[in-house]
Amino acid sequence: MSVCEVHGLTRDYGNGRGVFDLSFAIHQGEVFGFLGPNGAGKTTTIRHLMGFLRPEKGYCYIDGKDCWKDRTEIQKNLGYIPGEMVFFDDMTGTDFLSFMAKYRNVKSNGRTRELLDRFELDPRGKLKKMSKGMKQKVGIVAAFMHDPEVLILDEPTSGLDPLMQNRFIDLVLEEKARGKTILMSSHIFEEIERTCNRVAIIKNGKLVAMDDVETLKAAQVKKYIVTLENKDAVAAFAGESLRVTEVSHNQVTVIIQNNIKEFIAIMNRYPVINIVTPNQRLEEIFMQYYGGDRT
Amino acid sequence: MINWTLYKRGLQGSWKMLLIFASVITMYFTIIISMFDPALGSALNEFAKAMPELMTIVGMNPVSAELVSFLEAYLYGFIMLVFPMLFCILSANKLMARHVDHGSMTYLVAAPVRRETVALTQINVMVTGLIMLVSYATLLGIVNCEISFPGKLDIGKFILLNIGVLSLQLFIGGICFLCSCIFNDCKSAVGIGAGIPTLGFILQMMGNAGKELENIKYTTFFTLFDSDGIISGKAGALAGMFALFAGAIILFTAAIIVFSRKDLHI
Repeated sequence: MSVCEVHGLTRDYGNGRGVFDLSFAIHQGEVFGFLGPNGAGKTTTIRHLMGFLRPEKGYCYIDGKDCWKDRTEIQKNLGYIPGEMVFFDDMTGTDFLSFMAKYRNVKSNGRTRELLDRFELDPRGKLKKMSKGMKQKVGIVAAFMHDPEVLILDEPTSGLDPLMQNRFIDLVLEEKARGKTILMSSHIFEEIERTCNRVAIIKNGKLVAMDDVETLKAAQVKKYIVTLENKDAVAAFAGESLRVTEVSHNQVTVIIQNNIKEFIAIMNRYPVINIVTPNQRLEEIFMQYYGGDRT
Repeated sequence: MINWTLYKRGLQGSWKMLLIFASVITMYFTIIISMFDPALGSALNEFAKAMPELMTIVGMNPVSAELVSFLEAYLYGFIMLVFPMLFCILSANKLMARHVDHGSMTYLVAAPVRRETVALTQINVMVTGLIMLVSYATLLGIVNCEISFPGKLDIGKFILLNIGVLSLQLFIGGICFLCSCIFNDCKSAVGIGAGIPTLGFILQMMGNAGKELENIKYTTFFTLFDSDGIISGKAGALAGMFALFAGAIILFTAAIIVFSRKDLHI
């Protein structure tokens, strides 16, 4: 059963910006990865789901309710982490969390305490003076404290250190096991790989691909930057049968997919100084898989 | 229906500003009331004789020698128009447009609270502040006069005058709040929200200034607040008061509707 549905959603901001005829559905108990380069329309889509924006065309439903008309009803069972954390200037973290609980009319359920412990957050300081990571943690606690059935998370781990990113992934997995439905936008491969069932990628406001994470992983291509001793070697190396994407100074960037042995054999014949695997953005990996142009 | 948590939070956020305005009003009230001299005519009257044009521009020309008329002329032609107006401008911007501009509105609407409730609550915060400010001025005026000139003040008329000021300020607050709901950035919200009442006020002053410009003042809503008329008990002045109250309700309703229907890019 789909909990969240988007049908032909369109909002044109002009100059090709916005979202265009976007459709997808998220099933009960599913973690749905939502990917795309900056400005692709992820946040615009999320704003429609949150009932902040009225669709120009198409519609969004959560739990069978219209995201614009029934937004107040939907919000009762929804948790949200905004892409940008902006709080009320003069509050402490504690003030903010108790304000939100009262504002939402949440009965105290011990969950806030548990979340604070989990993320090792001491919320007593002024929000204004908190680091980005701390603010992010406050936002996470605010999104999960009322134990919602549906979660919309816009780059939820930005600003968190790797340890906390891991704790967040564990939290998402626990919620998933409890049957929660989650939409998560992210740039971090590991986060998506470990939590999501399916992934959608949008670009220029259009859905370019939607698939299982397993399929994505199987198709993963690896990028290597090989540093060679001299320019002659670089030129010769670039002429080999590998898929070369970039040649600069004494470095060659190659893309390897199921041909790692050939790559090693070729490297053996050259004066290789160093090999690096740069961090690849998730979208990039996905785009290569789907043969889309690189952004 | 309002959200009490948000309401309390709004009042907490307003008290500093209220305190500042209250102190300014206290200062002016104390100084000006002390200048009243029932026997000889006040020092201000001497001033008015010396520079009649300047004093009429800012509405400082008492219609009679009574204390209430004196207060009306010297406090309710300028001080009690400008300072509560400033409070409306700042307060309206702070309660709506700033949250949308900065993005903190996210947390107010990403909750099971209707947007109508959010707007109505913020209106209540602003109106509470205004009522507190005007009530304080009323009380301050009465106490001050009773101490310095016991029995001289026509308290009934003075209270009516303050209700009149309140009607005008609620109307101004309505304009500011509506602008704060229409615009997504503070610059436009304050620019237009403050611009309309300021322009009205300037036109009113021009109208006061000279015979040939007298009709200008009928082009603004300030003309509905006829402080002289309230003191002298004119029916038209009371009708003006009601019109301002009614206008305020319409403006606030419009603000709620605009906010509930608008797209929020937060």
